[in-house]
Amino acid sequence: MAISVEYVVKETAGNLWRNRLMSLAAVLTVAVSLSLVGAALLIKQGVSTATSQWQGGVQLLIFFNPNAPTSEKRSVAVQLKQMAEVKSFFYVDRAASYQEFKRLMANEPDLLNAVTEKQIPPSYRVVLKDPAEAPALGKIFAGQPGVKTTEYNFGAIKTMLDLSSIAQAVIIALALVLLLSATVLIFNVIRVGIFARRREVSVMKLVGATNWFIRIPFMLEGLTQGLIGAVVAAAGVLGLQSLFNYAISHFGVKLLSGFVITSSDVIFTEIFVLAVGIVVGAGGSMIAVRRYLEV
Amino acid sequence: MIRLEGVSKSYKAGPLALNDINIDVERGEFVFLVGSSGSGKSTLLRLLLREERPDTGRIWVAGKDLGQLAPWKVPYFRRNIGVIFQDFRLLPNRTAFENVAFALEVIGKSKKTISVQVPQILDLVGLSDKMGRLPSELSGGEQQRVAIARAFVNRPLVLLADEPTGNLDPETTWGVMRLLERINRTGTTVVMATHDVGIVDSMRRRVIELDHGTIQRDQSRGIYGIGV
Repeated sequence: MAISVEYVVKETAGNLWRNRLMSLAAVLTVAVSLSLVGAALLIKQGVSTATSQWQGGVQLLIFFNPNAPTSEKRSVAVQLKQMAEVKSFFYVDRAASYQEFKRLMANEPDLLNAVTEKQIPPSYRVVLKDPAEAPALGKIFAGQPGVKTTEYNFGAIKTMLDLSSIAQAVIIALALVLLLSATVLIFNVIRVGIFARRREVSVMKLVGATNWFIRIPFMLEGLTQGLIGAVVAAAGVLGLQSLFNYAISHFGVKLLSGFVITSSDVIFTEIFVLAVGIVVGAGGSMIAVRRYLEV
Repeated sequence: MIRLEGVSKSYKAGPLALNDINIDVERGEFVFLVGSSGSGKSTLLRLLLREERPDTGRIWVAGKDLGQLAPWKVPYFRRNIGVIFQDFRLLPNRTAFENVAFALEVIGKSKKTISVQVPQILDLVGLSDKMGRLPSELSGGEQQRVAIARAFVNRPLVLLADEPTGNLDPETTWGVMRLLERINRTGTTVVMATHDVGIVDSMRRRVIELDHGTIQRDQSRGIYGIGV
């Protein structure tokens, strides 16, 4: 007993059109809430890239000249080992640093092309017992043979991390509330649709239409609303990505220069947004169909 | 074709709607179900359509034991049963043709089948010149004919009729009854609940009388009865 595609498309489109204002409300709510989800994900991914050098509680970076001999690096390592303030440290070689550089500078292809792996400084990443010691230690190593530069503005990084997690939490909370409203809206649209078509539904039951035959157009209606909302949000995510990238390069915020949203981040976000849209649409209509279309 | 064995049914906060009903209806029979309002006629029809299930007892319709019928099979079972009602239950925004076509469409019949079968059946009920009319543009008798066409287009084994002439004037009623007789002559079993004394008395078919949920009499070639 195949269900004809033509029938289903006709019914679904008819339901959507009959209910267009409420459908629009549902679609827009899905779109706004999923845009927020997308924004939160992008911020999370961008911040995580920007702070990748500082992951694992690293508070001090010691960069070597690209061609610094092993003896000079070993001398720094020996000193680090003897210092009571140092909790731990690790070496990041040129190859790994180059990969990191490529990720951080993804927004600036000119710079990326101009720099080769040979020019990239390897580094020690140092975890301290007390972050406040970072500037003092940084100054000690800054002048030593083979050392190119040291970085220890961990406070600023921490501020950025904290701000971004607060922003993410607020955005996600808003998005969840809106997603719930979207589900309720879709539920309601489908319920009204079932009520509007109760005569048809009762005739269908009478003449022996299967339950799925009766249900599918209503479920597809909700699914379509979720999906359209998600597609709008997905477009919004692309817009946000260019907005972030533009803002960072335009205002030249030094600290955020590594705030890069890679295309794989965006693809992941888009897929996530579409999936949530489908779940919300199918979920809302499924509940309505279960409650109001029982045989 | 239809068999009920010890069927009882009650609703919340009420007396027994049906009490230990035993009925056997052969293939091709025409049965009148009579009795006052609340005697259990409609409940009986709903049980036969498996819109409801009995508290006790077993029911067979068209070869199916309704107690054993899985819920997902109910729609397929109903394709063998045609139903008509006092209030016709046509879709007001669809023409006569579309109303009948809808019944075929939703059980997955092809467009080609529909375009052949619907004019045929509407011709059979005498409405071939009014296929494009909406229910509001048809008389009561014509609307009931559309409903009969919709119920019969699948050539069901059983046709259930719940007071089908209740809203019709006597003249129209006879037209509808002649149509039901014709359908019955094709071998379709007809069970008709009615209040119409005139019809029952003049047709002399089997009469089952219900009173407060019990069978008062079951008589072949009966009349509506005295004292009802």
